[in-house]
Amino acid sequence: MNPFSAKTMAVARRELMQRVRTKWFLIGTLGAPILLVGIMILSGLLMASSLNSSDAAERSIGVVGEDDLLEGLLVEELLLDSIVARAAPDLDGLSGLTLNERFTASDWDYLLFVPRMEAPQEGVTGPVQVDLLARDNVQGGTTRQIGGALDRAVLRGLLSYTDVQEQEARALLRSGTLDVLNVSESGRAQSQDVFQGLSIGIATLFYMILILYGQMIVRAVLEEKQSNIVEVIVSSLRPAELMMGKIVGVGGVGLVQMAIWAALLGAGVLTMAGLGLFEQMRQAGVDLAAMDLPWFDLGISLVMLVLGYLLYAGMFAGAGATVSTEADAGQVMLPIIMLIVLPFMAIQGVIVNPGATWAVVMSLIPFFSPLVMTARLLLSEVPAWEWVVALVLLVGGVAGMAWLAGRIFRVGILMKGQKANLPEVVRWIRHG
Amino acid sequence: MRDLDLAVPEGSVYGLLGPNGAGKSTTIRMILDIIAPDRGEVEIFGSSDVIGARPHIGYLPEERGLYAKMKVAEHLAYLAVLKGVDRRLAMAAARKGLDRVGLGDRADDKVESLSKGMAQKAQMLSCLLHEPRLLILDEPFSGLDPLNVEMFKELIRERRAAGATVLFSTHMIEDAERLCDRVCMIAGSRKVLDGRVADVKAAQGQRDVAVQYEGDGTFLRAPGLVQRVADQGHYAEIRLEEGADAQDLLRRAVEQGVRLSRFEIINPSLRQIFIEKATEVGLSAEDESEDEAGAPR
Repeated sequence: MNPFSAKTMAVARRELMQRVRTKWFLIGTLGAPILLVGIMILSGLLMASSLNSSDAAERSIGVVGEDDLLEGLLVEELLLDSIVARAAPDLDGLSGLTLNERFTASDWDYLLFVPRMEAPQEGVTGPVQVDLLARDNVQGGTTRQIGGALDRAVLRGLLSYTDVQEQEARALLRSGTLDVLNVSESGRAQSQDVFQGLSIGIATLFYMILILYGQMIVRAVLEEKQSNIVEVIVSSLRPAELMMGKIVGVGGVGLVQMAIWAALLGAGVLTMAGLGLFEQMRQAGVDLAAMDLPWFDLGISLVMLVLGYLLYAGMFAGAGATVSTEADAGQVMLPIIMLIVLPFMAIQGVIVNPGATWAVVMSLIPFFSPLVMTARLLLSEVPAWEWVVALVLLVGGVAGMAWLAGRIFRVGILMKGQKANLPEVVRWIRHG
Repeated sequence: MRDLDLAVPEGSVYGLLGPNGAGKSTTIRMILDIIAPDRGEVEIFGSSDVIGARPHIGYLPEERGLYAKMKVAEHLAYLAVLKGVDRRLAMAAARKGLDRVGLGDRADDKVESLSKGMAQKAQMLSCLLHEPRLLILDEPFSGLDPLNVEMFKELIRERRAAGATVLFSTHMIEDAERLCDRVCMIAGSRKVLDGRVADVKAAQGQRDVAVQYEGDGTFLRAPGLVQRVADQGHYAEIRLEEGADAQDLLRRAVEQGVRLSRFEIINPSLRQIFIEKATEVGLSAEDESEDEAGAPR
């Protein structure tokens, strides 16, 4: 059967038009960015105040670590910015929790922990990750100032190896060298980073898209039953066409919404450029143009989002077909939502260790890969085969789910009243 | 349903009769391939490609509804598009149809704003706009107000005049008797009767004659011709012997010089046949009469 037959598209078109024309779509579509921009402006204002102020010069900054060369270079570079950092013999030789605990008890305001810089092999070096330990949130300006000095120090350090190319070294710097750790009394450390923020942001977005549009699909399926029309509809087309039409239509609503947002974003960027805001930000030390976003990785995760949507949409459609009331719908949706929540929760762990075995495994499983693989791609170098395998499995998962959901939908859509129990559904699948 | 064999000739109006729960709706759903029969097959327009025939079928199920949030004309057009009608033609047909049933000014209102009677009209149109060659209607008149029943009958007649076949189920036997060329009675998941309405009645072999007469009543006692008679002096109801011709009785009366002011073969009503048949298969027709008493005519 052609999943995109004229009838499927007719169903999709109705689904799309009906939803896009409501005032809730308008409110949601325009409201969300307004809210988002509001939050951004607010946090931007807060950030701007901290961007320009750095307390690095007034604080006592200690340096400890495993790499004397890098330590020396760092102290030199900090001094160029009139920041005095001194070796911290009282904390030297410590690491991990002990270091964190001793630091919170010490007189130092900030402590820089410099790890050993690996000697390059065949001109390739690993990243250098320097930790900035602090008791409270560190002002943006401080991080920027210390980070800038650190970048210069690392660059000088890397270039001291004759076979390291400057390009390679600079690329390495962009992946971030300074980790700010807020150390609490207990010695636990929490990390903050641009890419971590980005991956959490994108994961949250995916998570919300899957859940919101999934619920929309369930409602669309329920609408058929509740308006008593499904019998007429399935006398005109195959249930699979109806299901596919609903999935495509609701997905289309998402695309329209995102297109509107993209247009708004474009307009916003142009406005900001027109107002010379970017110039101001650059002067303040935030150079958006220099931000090196991993477009390719983002492209992969967008494809995964679309596939993930189809996978979950099939599940939601099948589940929706087994019930007739909103209350029952809530019940059958719960396990599916849990399946989406699980990888979302896991993102926290992925951030800490994107290469952990469980993270790798999760990033290959179709139900989790859209969120987990996206986070891994943004946070670390993922071998190509891993995301290729994840994509292939995801495509397979979508096809399998379409088959399964189609069989459930075919029988379920005509059912009324009580919600179907599991053995019944299994029977539908077998005989469907 | 068990062993149902049904042939609906093209161009006919075919009634599917039976008490509630007899399997009428199930039969219709199987015809439409909404549910699959355990065994057996369905042919429409002489082909087993039921899916391919769907664009030419107009179906109105017993439980009917429309999307509440959709505009009336758009909704009707959407259903026609699903039948393969071009979108613009469908929209034009929807508006024309709404004008026809007097809902022209509500075309752009939402379905939920329609009154019950208006929604019924829209539902009638929903199975007609794509000009189907076969109309399948499940209890088409149940729940309709009398005006809408008349309107629907008229719309069905129009479709029929255009050459369409009509298959409808009903438990309102008088409707079937007035509208159908052929009927099939289902009771207890089985077919109990099938054929042209006149044939069904004839096959029932009910041979009742009502006679109003003046003169000698002995003509009524004709052995071999009359089985039983209820004579009231000037009016009698007679049951003829099997195979006897009422014409012979009439001749006898004339020959004997009896003056007749009425000589009428009382047709058994389908209703009577229906009740007899339904009772035969062990189903009481009581719930039927209740239903009918409550249903608007």
